[in-house]
Amino acid sequence: MLNKLNEKVWNFFSSVDLAVALFIIISSGAAIGTIIPQSIEPEPIIKFFSKFMSISSAHKVYEIISLFDLNNVYHSWWFIFLLFMFALNLIVCSIDRLPSLLKSFKTSPKPYPMQILENMPVKKTLKINDDKILDKIKEIFQNRGFSTHIFETQEGLQIHAKKWTKTRLAVYLTHLSILIILAGALIGSFFGFRGSMNIVEGTGLNFVISDDGKAIPLDFEVRCEKFEAEYYENSSMPKAYRSYIKIIENGKPVMENIVIEVNQPFTYKGITFYQASYGFQPTEHAEFRFTYFDKTGKEFNINAHFEEKFKIPQTSVTASVTDFSPALGVDEEGKLFNMTSDMINPAVLVTFEENGKKTQQWILKRIPETWQTPYGTLRFNELWGAQFTGLQVRKDPGVPLIYIGSILMCIGLFICLFLRPVNYFVVISKNQINFYCPTSKGIVERQIDEIIKKLKGEQL
Amino acid sequence: MSYQIISIAGLLYMLAMPGYIVYLLTKNKKIGIVATGVLSAGTLIHIYGFIQRFKEMYSINHSIMRSIPITNLYESLIFFVLCMVAGYLFIEWKYKNKSFGVFVSIIAGITIGLTDVLGVTKEVQPLVPALKSNWLLAHVALSFISYAAFAISFITAILHVIMDTENKKSFKYIFSTSILGFMVFLFISLIFDSLSASNPKSVKIFHTTLGSSSLIISTLSWIALLVTVFLFWKFGDLIKKALHSLKINSQFLEDLTYKGIAFGFPIFTIGGLVFGAIWADQAWGRYWGWDPKETWSLITWFVYAFYLHAKFIRGWKGTKISMIAVIGFLVTIFTYLGVNLFLSGLHSYGSM
Repeated sequence: MLNKLNEKVWNFFSSVDLAVALFIIISSGAAIGTIIPQSIEPEPIIKFFSKFMSISSAHKVYEIISLFDLNNVYHSWWFIFLLFMFALNLIVCSIDRLPSLLKSFKTSPKPYPMQILENMPVKKTLKINDDKILDKIKEIFQNRGFSTHIFETQEGLQIHAKKWTKTRLAVYLTHLSILIILAGALIGSFFGFRGSMNIVEGTGLNFVISDDGKAIPLDFEVRCEKFEAEYYENSSMPKAYRSYIKIIENGKPVMENIVIEVNQPFTYKGITFYQASYGFQPTEHAEFRFTYFDKTGKEFNINAHFEEKFKIPQTSVTASVTDFSPALGVDEEGKLFNMTSDMINPAVLVTFEENGKKTQQWILKRIPETWQTPYGTLRFNELWGAQFTGLQVRKDPGVPLIYIGSILMCIGLFICLFLRPVNYFVVISKNQINFYCPTSKGIVERQIDEIIKKLKGEQL
Repeated sequence: MSYQIISIAGLLYMLAMPGYIVYLLTKNKKIGIVATGVLSAGTLIHIYGFIQRFKEMYSINHSIMRSIPITNLYESLIFFVLCMVAGYLFIEWKYKNKSFGVFVSIIAGITIGLTDVLGVTKEVQPLVPALKSNWLLAHVALSFISYAAFAISFITAILHVIMDTENKKSFKYIFSTSILGFMVFLFISLIFDSLSASNPKSVKIFHTTLGSSSLIISTLSWIALLVTVFLFWKFGDLIKKALHSLKINSQFLEDLTYKGIAFGFPIFTIGGLVFGAIWADQAWGRYWGWDPKETWSLITWFVYAFYLHAKFIRGWKGTKISMIAVIGFLVTIFTYLGVNLFLSGLHSYGSM
């Protein structure tokens, strides 16, 4: 009784029907997740559904959705359960089929009854009378990389020519690779985390805010020394943005001058930092950085805070920054305004004071003409300390498994689909040779034709 | 500019279609050669335009690996057409068979027409930081090569279904002929849409036909669509006869469908899923994040995995298995275009 139940359960999990059903159910579930907004907050979902129905029914729909976790499909219990079933199905299928396949490699081949051969989809006949025909056929097959077995039967000599029979194992390699990838994902979700940190230029952080809002402490501090964004000329489209990072551990800097860019992450102690975003955030320690050139061309670096007075070197003039714009634009009435809060074209309004007389001038970072002041050339370099860099942070010990699984999957699939096993059966009887092949794929027929041509050619 | 050269190529693709139709109807070999010649000329011009565009990109990006013009929706559509037409010409030469050139030129025409109608930008654009990676070439190029292989398997599969279904009331037959009818209607509508547009950036799909502001035209268009679909349903056996007279048997179409998938599936797995995951891991900090594009790629992968399992393990044959190939490509189209047009996500470089 128990055995019967066991067998039933086993058959259920080893069936291709289950695999196909899982393909369909997992696909549908995943598709739902791309349509219904994936959000823990109810508002976006209700807003989405109120486009199609009244608000009150949208609220009801939301209740149903949250009941089945349809707003969090990919982490819901049923989706994880389906993936688990998928893995189980793969394992049981392999255990079910692999031994008999391995066994078939070991058992010595036997001649096939003619009935089976005659039922094969490909059959070609060649009328020929040649004593050495067997050697010729053997040679042709061996030159093509086939291994041959010869049997004597009632109907004549039966030759089995086989190539790439072991490539049937590649299917199991492909299946194994999926299991490895799933295992990698499981390890990642248990022993890893994902989060982000926004670090203002000139400051550091020693914790990460995880995606579900918790603070995860790090045993080192990540300091952003400088952040810079480059833009394509005359456009607000970023060309590149990068952070200059320093790692501080136990109060001492352990790594310096690390550059993180999009597509160029940085890893320290198994934790990887990715450049994700950036933004404008003025702070008290923000500093305007200028370079002043006197008449002889000598350079002076000047750093000043907002509204802090600084001296123009070798003159009696004092100056201060009295306004700032990250992206200065001119509107239709000729008034100046901020285009965006991104530092596309930073500009400062500098107020000069000489003997009580005040003059003002806008100096734009990217327009050298504006650097010329009545008191010499004052180049505005940057506003340091007013931007934050947004870093994605991740720890995922499962990644090596993902890479291994991916490589194995590629190898497995290529062998599976490009090196399919080829079997030919040849029966040599009096005056005639018959070729049989269990699969018809076009190529096979042509190969047989070539072999026949070769046989005939040698006879001529 | 490169896009003007490519438009000429697109025009030649569209011109090849009537050539292939006449060839199918008359079996005149000379006309067949002309049709192939027009399609090949289009391909050569297309390759030339592609190289020109590469040069334009190179002058901005100064990197060979990152100057392959496959960085936005327009370029990807164009690259897809190039792969598909080149793949088809290879098959035509290898199997000495011009039987489905009509449908290849229709899909090529529809795709090129879409670049006009969707108002996608055709100008060469500098790369956004996220695309500055050498994975761009490997991931995007291989993905589109696999899409092209799936497109070819779709055409052969749909012809196979129409050819081998006796009962006109069966779902498979109605479904396949409706798709073909709709494709032809879309092709013609796109030609009108693009021709009547005064400003190429404001053209909308179906604006001269189904979505026309004039009630009469839009009603007539709907009727025309239904009539087209009906004609394909009613006279689907003409396709069957034409194919038979070209000595095409259904086994050939079934095998070709399999070959397209057997070629496309591993390339899709490696280029689309694996390289995509590696790149996402480097750029976004996760190899898989259930982004709509990723999710739909997985669904596409499942459909074709289903095809292979049904074929090799369940031993499915005939129109039943070809239907999976048809559905597989419809899902592929959604993965490619639908996700960008209807859903939002991280793969927004591909949107308009």
